[in-house]
Amino acid sequence: MSATAGQTMALPPAAGKRRFSSDLPQVWIGMALIALTGFGPSLVGNSYWVHTFQLVNIYIAASVFQNFLFVDAGQKSFGQGVLLGLGAYVTAIFFGLHNYPFLAAAAIGIAAAAAGGLLFALPALRVQYFHLGFVTLSAAIVFPQLLMSLDRWTNGINGIAVSMPDLQKEMVFGLSPLTLIVALYPMAALWIHYFIRRSRLGRRMRIAAISPEAARTLGIKPGVMRFIAFIIAAIGTGVCGVLYLPTVAFVSPQGFNVELSFVFFFAVVVGGRGQMLGPIVGMWIVFILPNIALAQLVEYRLLIYGVLTLVTVMLFPDGVVGTIERWRLRRSVAGRGEQAFRVDAFLDTLGAGHDATPGEDVAVEVRGGLKKFGEVVAVDRADLTVRRGEIHGLIGANGSGKTSLLNVLSGLSRLNAGSFVIDGREATRMAADRIADLGVGRTFQTPRIFSQLSLWDNLRIGIDARVGAGDPGVARLAAALEREFSEDSADLLSHGQRRLVEVMRTVLKEASIVFFDEPAAGLSQSERANFAKLVTFLSRRMGKTIVIVEHDLDLVWGVADAITVMDAGRVVATGAPAEVARDPAVQHMFVGGRRA
Amino acid sequence: MLSEIAIIVVRGIAIGSIFSIIAMSFNIVHGATGILNFAQGNMFVLGGFAAFFLANGAGVPLWLVMLAVSAMLVAACVTFQGWITLLPLRSSVEQDSWLISTVAASTIIGAVLLITQGPYAYNVQGIAPSFRILGVRTPGAYALAFGCMLFWFVALRLFLTRTFSGLAISALSQDFDAARAAGLPVRRLQLVAFAISGLIVGSAGYMVAPVISVTSDAGLRYVLAAVVGGIGSNLGTLIGGPLVGVVTMLTAYRIGGAYQDLASLLVLVAILMLRPQGLFGRSSARRV
Repeated sequence: MSATAGQTMALPPAAGKRRFSSDLPQVWIGMALIALTGFGPSLVGNSYWVHTFQLVNIYIAASVFQNFLFVDAGQKSFGQGVLLGLGAYVTAIFFGLHNYPFLAAAAIGIAAAAAGGLLFALPALRVQYFHLGFVTLSAAIVFPQLLMSLDRWTNGINGIAVSMPDLQKEMVFGLSPLTLIVALYPMAALWIHYFIRRSRLGRRMRIAAISPEAARTLGIKPGVMRFIAFIIAAIGTGVCGVLYLPTVAFVSPQGFNVELSFVFFFAVVVGGRGQMLGPIVGMWIVFILPNIALAQLVEYRLLIYGVLTLVTVMLFPDGVVGTIERWRLRRSVAGRGEQAFRVDAFLDTLGAGHDATPGEDVAVEVRGGLKKFGEVVAVDRADLTVRRGEIHGLIGANGSGKTSLLNVLSGLSRLNAGSFVIDGREATRMAADRIADLGVGRTFQTPRIFSQLSLWDNLRIGIDARVGAGDPGVARLAAALEREFSEDSADLLSHGQRRLVEVMRTVLKEASIVFFDEPAAGLSQSERANFAKLVTFLSRRMGKTIVIVEHDLDLVWGVADAITVMDAGRVVATGAPAEVARDPAVQHMFVGGRRA
Repeated sequence: MLSEIAIIVVRGIAIGSIFSIIAMSFNIVHGATGILNFAQGNMFVLGGFAAFFLANGAGVPLWLVMLAVSAMLVAACVTFQGWITLLPLRSSVEQDSWLISTVAASTIIGAVLLITQGPYAYNVQGIAPSFRILGVRTPGAYALAFGCMLFWFVALRLFLTRTFSGLAISALSQDFDAARAAGLPVRRLQLVAFAISGLIVGSAGYMVAPVISVTSDAGLRYVLAAVVGGIGSNLGTLIGGPLVGVVTMLTAYRIGGAYQDLASLLVLVAILMLRPQGLFGRSSARRV
């Protein structure tokens, strides 16, 4: 059994396996499309299309950053046009009206856009999911009026005209420096998006966007992630504003009304949210199509943006590129159901570990913990002592306060009274991410598996949150998992395996204290046996302290060194398994065998 | 000086009543569907256009008939829009999709109004005579706004607590899945909620048309002010709406001249930046 499993782990990825993520090919196709539309018109000498695609490519770059903000950071902003406008207008004011050198004016313009992004980010630091839409939308409504009213600085309705003939001068093949720059910038934006998404920062940003509470238990501050995303997007969009200036050679308040912000947003939606190619295809459909078809009917443009977007949401909720990508994934989804995850294989890869026995010192201690939800007392002045290295079972009927206690201990909710200590540190008032950084890991009753990420990335976010020193066994396991699962989808995993993914995440995180919340619920008999083996290994060969909330009393009694029984929020018994089993307060739980 | 304070307070509260009404129309839809209808402000403006085309200068009987007609017309629009919005939703809270389709709908309505009616502000003649309060002459429509707010507050309260449909909609806002499991016709109830929100903004837009700017792009501003007053709780918005009204009036008065519109808008944005949930709003609980 264990030998064949070992082989599974060591096997190279199956030949001809398809990619899980098409981000990279999409970036290359996007490069080709932008090069074609950016350089092609110059080569054939069509000045109308040269100019049109200069603007379109700037808008594509702005949409790339909108896409990043929308999907990777989960922030719906309707105000990206304001940031572009800030970049363009402030540059125009300093360059066109005050004769600053262009680069200096551009730097000030980008700084202004970043400051605007900062204003958007402030409300986003707190969790209010749709309110942000209103804040950014209101900024988009105010902005053109602001430009109009501050006419002492902005020239009001007359706008500011600038002239930069040097940038328009043709070099070779009819290409001007401007054409070159405005085509290269969206390409750069695509690569920036791609590399952020592939980075540790990008993964943590996405987790924070999808599941803030899971993110916090991995040491991530979701507010900070949103903040960083806004600043990156603001600077990227500010650069678009700077490029807008020489391209259009004129700024006026009408150029930066709500419509512009909507174009960026709608382009992302129509093209395909989260797809690298989405902003390109979306911008072509949303912006170019109405401009060719209805060049003279300017007032119909807004109507067409709206209709196109509505129709897309109805017919292709994933957008054009997203729908194609979905077909591709359906045909080629890779991953193995039952056979993907084998506990024995993991244990083999982790190696022998070292001998570890539970010590006498305390890893987790709760004193008089009281947690109320309104009038309901979930945890009632509970005391709990978990010794280092032991497996501590926490049992009790549904609603007895076990999970509430785990949530308190992992920082997801706060005690109303009482206190607790983790690894000798007072942690009662600590935020979840700080507790996570103390070396605490946890799993959830509903496993937090992210289908947007490959199976390997689902595991890798554990490494991203690593608190340990880099155990060689864990490093070996990580390497094997990467080889095996980097192109697998997490969608095909069975329920038991999804639980196992979360457990492996805490292993990869090298958490020294691990909370398992009903890890065996829904597991088959053999999966339970394997899980018991795994828990014992984590404790006895890797020295982890484990608190396990579980209804399967056979499992708990099989592995636990100590057991605490809760009833109606109170701790009614605690001690060694044999003692607890004899406790009269607990006896009723065993009616009809050891199952609660 | 005293009369200026009176003007600010009276008109502020009246304009604020409109914000409060719009917030209440948000609440019923949000409770039943989890959707925040960005097009609601445009629907409110539609009510104003209805007043212009159906009842400008009409006598009392015709005005009353047209009030009912306008409210129902707008309710029909909102119900249709709600139906479209709910189509792609398999569950109640697939956020992105509704956010996009209601913003798109708002854009479409605004654009259609712009194309057909132009960018001008329409003047609607009121039905209610002006009156004196605190020594200030006040257009009758302001009283209508305040009355309309109280009417809809009481009506909604009665509907949500005394009728079967109302109780069922309340159940939806408590626990969507449980309501569905209990066999409630979820989709139909959600459309009822949309229809009621349409009746609310349709009737309000119609009644207060003489004192609002009936223009194609006015919709989003009223929505913004309603959000600043606070959405989530009808009782909260009863205070928050008028408070925002007074604050914007006060700002407009202190700044005056060409900047007054901009200044009151900036105050709203500033409040929203500091308190994204609005003055008296309740941010809805996240599902974990």
